Amino acid sequence: MSFRPTTRATALCAAITVGALSPLAAQAKTSVGLLLPYSGVFAALGNEIEAGFTVAMEAAGATDQFDIIKEDTEVKPPVGLAKARKLVLEDEVDVIVGVVSSGVLGAMRDFVHDAEVPLLVANAGNDHATGEQCSPYITRVSFSNAQINRPMGDWLAGSGVKTAYIMAADYAAGHQTMAAFKESFTAAGGEIVGEEYTPFRKTKDFGPYLTKAKASGAEAVYVFYAGGEAISFVKQYDSFGLKDQMGLYSGGFLTSPLYVNAEGPAAEGVITALHYMPTLDTPENKAFVDAYTAKYGKGPSEFAVQGYDAAHALLSSQADGETRGAELSAALSRYSANSPRGPISIDPATNNIVQNIYIYETVAGENGLTQRLIDTVENVQDAPNGCVL
Amino acid sequence: MSDTGFWIVQTLNGVQLSLLYFLLSVGLTVIFGLMHFVNLAHGALYALGAYVSVTVSAVLGYWGGFLLAPVAVAVVGIGLYLLLIRRLRHADHMNQVLVTFGLIFVFTDLFRIGWGDIDLGLEPPTLFSGQSTVFGVVYPTYRLFVIALGLVIMAALALVLTRTQIGAMIRAGVDNEDMAACLGIDVDRVFFGVFCMGCALAGLAGVVAAPVFSVTPAMGDSVLIPALIVVVIGGLGSLRGAVVGSFLVGFIQTFGAVIAPQLAAMITYALLAAVLILRPAGLFPARS
Amino acid sequence: MFHQTALKSVTLVILLLGLGAYVQTGGYYGRELVIEACILAMLALSVDVVAGYGGMISMCHGALLGAAAYAFAAMTALLGWPPSLSFVIAIVASTLLATAIGAVSSRTQGIFFIMATLAFGQMVYVMIFDAPMLGGDDGMAGVKRLNLDLVGINFKKSAPFAFACIALLALSYGLAALMLRSGFGRTLSGVKANEDRLRALGVRVWWVKARAFGFSGLLAGIAGVMAAQHTQFVSPELLLWTLSGEALVVVILGGLGTLVGPLVGAIALVFVKHEISSVTHYWHLFIGIALILTVLAGGRGLYGQFEYVVTRARRRRAKDHA
Repeated sequence: MSFRPTTRATALCAAITVGALSPLAAQAKTSVGLLLPYSGVFAALGNEIEAGFTVAMEAAGATDQFDIIKEDTEVKPPVGLAKARKLVLEDEVDVIVGVVSSGVLGAMRDFVHDAEVPLLVANAGNDHATGEQCSPYITRVSFSNAQINRPMGDWLAGSGVKTAYIMAADYAAGHQTMAAFKESFTAAGGEIVGEEYTPFRKTKDFGPYLTKAKASGAEAVYVFYAGGEAISFVKQYDSFGLKDQMGLYSGGFLTSPLYVNAEGPAAEGVITALHYMPTLDTPENKAFVDAYTAKYGKGPSEFAVQGYDAAHALLSSQADGETRGAELSAALSRYSANSPRGPISIDPATNNIVQNIYIYETVAGENGLTQRLIDTVENVQDAPNGCVL
Repeated sequence: MSDTGFWIVQTLNGVQLSLLYFLLSVGLTVIFGLMHFVNLAHGALYALGAYVSVTVSAVLGYWGGFLLAPVAVAVVGIGLYLLLIRRLRHADHMNQVLVTFGLIFVFTDLFRIGWGDIDLGLEPPTLFSGQSTVFGVVYPTYRLFVIALGLVIMAALALVLTRTQIGAMIRAGVDNEDMAACLGIDVDRVFFGVFCMGCALAGLAGVVAAPVFSVTPAMGDSVLIPALIVVVIGGLGSLRGAVVGSFLVGFIQTFGAVIAPQLAAMITYALLAAVLILRPAGLFPARS
Repeated sequence: MFHQTALKSVTLVILLLGLGAYVQTGGYYGRELVIEACILAMLALSVDVVAGYGGMISMCHGALLGAAAYAFAAMTALLGWPPSLSFVIAIVASTLLATAIGAVSSRTQGIFFIMATLAFGQMVYVMIFDAPMLGGDDGMAGVKRLNLDLVGINFKKSAPFAFACIALLALSYGLAALMLRSGFGRTLSGVKANEDRLRALGVRVWWVKARAFGFSGLLAGIAGVMAAQHTQFVSPELLLWTLSGEALVVVILGGLGTLVGPLVGAIALVFVKHEISSVTHYWHLFIGIALILTVLAGGRGLYGQFEYVVTRARRRRAKDHA
């Protein structure tokens, strides 16, 4: 049972040398670092994004053009940063795709900026990443927190709701989404009658908060929760009988197709805004959903479409002949297309995506819960918010 | 809603959470009191109960899961007992902590392999869906069921422990294992029975909690710490301690969330630290 | 009782040289792994001092490491203080914090001690998590590294930084060995063996425990400051009780109460984790099984088992000669 570091080290060295030789053998390929969470609470999101990415690559028959190196960020910013450094400094990738958690994005932002390596963000929605902390090397094809929630404030006030009670998980995304909603809702004449930020990932019982919300007498509850917290929240909201008294609205992932069926009938009637819904009636979306379902045996989520569009942005930059550094970044930020989620383009002022926001209701369908489109807010674009590229 | 109504509902919330903690920690505390065994995998068994109930109730409905999940968890508990825990009974706490800590790792990844990374949910039975009116307030019926079930189990355990021969044997074992063995009590068999019961209760807590919360691979971790706090505050091995500890933690978390959400997590740990400093063996130590 | 045996010295030198060689040959990511292993080894060393030699199983060492990392980060990134000064203050802070936790928790024993340290560790975690100034869940970027340009070392490069980590690991080991060999170290072993007897002899047991914990906090603080400088980013995960658990796991896998074992365990864990996680996303499963098997195999750990086998063989040989 003795441990011999020297033998181990030699073996590792050998392995790494061999690994370093293979890209040399195929010089023409662009190497892509896929930086996603494969373990921890965001593992499902990481897998969805990779699945969407793979569908796009296979459909384009472009799998051979790329060397793809996958790294697991877990949900830990330091791990994400260490893996980003590994991809750039050791694997010498040409571009990094992925990043689910905004914490991980915040941790690696300065590094990719200084290293001048293009980063294609396929989820993390922190407003600052395409605001005051924007970078010519960071292009986002997913969404920003404000982009999804700002339209909901206007829309909700416009639909006749005058008072709202807001609740969100107590972390950056929770605060950013609520700030964006509050601003547009009050500007449109609405009134916030109470707000509550619940301990992030530590709250299981929303009962005490829901009781407070109910007592506030507001016409609507506006929230931001995702994943396990979304499931607990929606079910508990329903069980307290709030549905009859105050409508539930959210900008974001409250009723994501990924787990909406775990929420069950409680999710019926919940109205949310998001940049994608799998039931959009467009030829692009139909093709995507068919290809995705054929490969994975289940429908795609908004996370899958983010991976899909990331792959297409990459493919389009390759078609422009750009494979490295600033030129690749510039090519990525010129990207525009008719995506499954509708027309998308990258805003040259911030490198954030410009896209439609869909306001939809979750309704019962033939095979579980589905979406009914209520309204489309077209080409939503964030203000630069201090971004200078 | 009237002001009194508001506080009645919050009190019910507190009672509901407390009884859920009670179901979870009573097994932990009795196993510890009797066997001096620290079972950190108790939270994982709770999660196992929730996962099994999701799968079973897809076929047999909620009540199928309700009955089968505790049994399944007890069976897994028996496996663990025969494989690992029997060997560790006389090992020091350190080794028990470590092996059961290792079990947490193993279980969490097994849940991910078996049920996937996506969080799941379970529908409450139709019998208890919707709301009912109690004490003049409207309250979720399922939560009333949780409260009733918790109280019934609490009463049943108290009766068994104080009024039956098995209860006397258990209490004798907690008090002085060697003396109990001298009196002709088959201590090992009592231990085994108690361990299975503790596992079944953890599984039951899992089924009962599943329709309220979401079912996730890490759900066991998030309740393990509160359950340990309950057990340590109450005094290891004491039923009365588990009751008092559950209510202290459940009410602090509920009313903390209402009055000072940012401080709620802090107060629980501060309470634990204070109890340990002032009464190092907990409020109601089973052994004097 | 601690003895710096020849076997320990030889293993230690081989480990440190092996890490040094790997810095030179392992490429960029190899250096990252060495840094990670050194930081984990320092933390495990500090856990072994209290758990292996003082019988105090701690669940707050992650919080001690994190507190030092956050202190260093706040001073360099928020206040703009020089890293050298921040280095010293951060370590003093974690030492004082650990002394206080040790003093208060010393009243409790066994599982209660574990729970008390868990409570204090989680309190530190919650406090930092809920401080908006420190970035909350998102953490804090912009942490500076020491500036060693004056002595001609570019600390921003990974090789000098990795060598510094190895040197600090050696220093931590040296400090721990000196402490354990001193009169105080022997008193600590006495407290572990029979607390009541030492109390009867007039030893202030709580103060011995508190000081041992404080010393352990100093080592954890060094690890924390290096962790903050390594990633130049801190986030609340650093303080979570699971990191304390991981440090304990490392100590056990390597060998509790051997001082060299924690190094072996940390190096093994970091490199094996790296190997396994490129094959499967379920590496926790393997760590869990390894942990269970280690304890069932007698709980001596990798180095402990090695030492046991060597000593037994030597004793047998001595008996044959006699």
